[in-house]
Amino acid sequence: MEKLLEFRNVNYFYQTKNDEIFALNNINFDVGKEEFVSLVGPSGCGKTTILSLTAGLLKPSSGEVILDGEKKIDTKKIGYMFQRDMLFEWRTVWKNITLGLELQKPKDIDKKLEFAEQLLKKYNLESFKNRKPRSLSGGMRQRVALIRTLVLEPKLLLLDEPFSALDYQTRLTLCDDVSEILKNEKKTALLVTHDISEAISLSNKIIVLSKRPAKVKDEIHLSLSGKTPLKKREDKEFGKYFDLIWSELTNEKEQKSD
Amino acid sequence: MKKNKKVINFSQSHKKYVKKLKKDRFLIIFFRIFILVCFIGLWELLTAHKILDPFFFSSPSRIVKTLGDLIEAGTLFHHAWVTLFETLIGFLIATVLGYIIAILLWWNEKVRKVFEPYIIVLNSLPKIALGPVIILWVGAGTSAIVLMCVLICIVITTMSMLSAFISCDEGKILLLKSMNANKIQILFKCVLPSSMPEFISVLKINVGMSWVGSIMGEYLTSKAGLGYLIVYGGQIFKIDLVMTATFVLCLLAYLMYFLVSLLEKRYKK
Repeated sequence: MEKLLEFRNVNYFYQTKNDEIFALNNINFDVGKEEFVSLVGPSGCGKTTILSLTAGLLKPSSGEVILDGEKKIDTKKIGYMFQRDMLFEWRTVWKNITLGLELQKPKDIDKKLEFAEQLLKKYNLESFKNRKPRSLSGGMRQRVALIRTLVLEPKLLLLDEPFSALDYQTRLTLCDDVSEILKNEKKTALLVTHDISEAISLSNKIIVLSKRPAKVKDEIHLSLSGKTPLKKREDKEFGKYFDLIWSELTNEKEQKSD
Repeated sequence: MKKNKKVINFSQSHKKYVKKLKKDRFLIIFFRIFILVCFIGLWELLTAHKILDPFFFSSPSRIVKTLGDLIEAGTLFHHAWVTLFETLIGFLIATVLGYIIAILLWWNEKVRKVFEPYIIVLNSLPKIALGPVIILWVGAGTSAIVLMCVLICIVITTMSMLSAFISCDEGKILLLKSMNANKIQILFKCVLPSSMPEFISVLKINVGMSWVGSIMGEYLTSKAGLGYLIVYGGQIFKIDLVMTATFVLCLLAYLMYFLVSLLEKRYKK
């Protein structure tokens, strides 16, 4: 499989006034094109740091982050989706979706605006086009946030716990939605999550990280039957994967308390 | 989210609820007017029966008469206009300048830290203390009054707006950064629009403060204006004039506040 993202011996230190925190310890992994990869690990282990490095918001202390064959990260190839939807309350849904286009002013803007219209229609948000975000439900808001990201046609989507602020039912439905949208649009995604079953149901590959300073503890390739994430949860293997990752993570915690 | 908010068949309890809402609203308006009528009536009554000396307390009928006299003499609008003009100019300069300074301080953190203690000192200084110096610097007259007005409003404008800019949602800024936005774009797309509620409350504060500034300025130095009328009336013991000028002042200040609240309603839509 062709690689879209590569982490090569990446180390990262956070510097504060009184301390230097060793966050990432020699991280190596790849994300292939059209793959869905999840990062799981104990809280505060540096999962979001990995996303920030990928987005070019941080620079590695040492090692290399290679995106689409280039060491200099082109932010236009990245779409970042956050835990909170970050919709701008003073803008309409449409104005929120086209925010990135306003900023980047791409040459093919007409084509992208048309694409935005299509996405709105496809994901049942067209009638809310001129509404302000406050009249939308949590799930709809996250869908708007996802469309805002997709409109820019990024090669790689970074998802930082985009479902964690939602209630359980919305979360499961939105997972299906997102998975479908990403498949339809042929996107590659890197997801950070605390939710092991979410990771298993969505991903082709799961990277298990150790506690800080984070190392790659395990790389698990999954092949579950079932077309949607919800259906995948019914697969017999699902439980096995869950137990495997759970034991790796709890193992971490025990070591931590030693 | 329900799409159809318009439900045709209201239940009985809903009708009751709406009725109660209407009744409450009516009561509030009624008592507002009631208090005003009582206040004016009592004032008139007490002064008419010399329980309160109208020489010191004036009275509503005397105020109306003075108002009529001033309008007849053609001086009321002149005085009101002078003060209104000073207030508006001071209000505008202070708001625009204070806003721009806040943006500059937001832009550069080091500059902000350097100026922080100065702003705090300026904020706690009673600006009236600068009165004599202002007159020496810009001369007695309109410019001194406007300057007083600006000094009173500008520090609070800068401080409030700066704190609003700084408390702009970090996540939203991060989102813009991840979309390759530069600092100017971050400012115009996120920091300024998200601080609109604070800006409106600054406008409201400044409406009050700019009147304080212009009246204080007129106390210091003036040949016309409502503040001038108040000082003049006080000096010649014409309390009617003082009260009348104060009444007009109330009306104008309320009008200005009303305009700002219209702006607020428009924004909230």
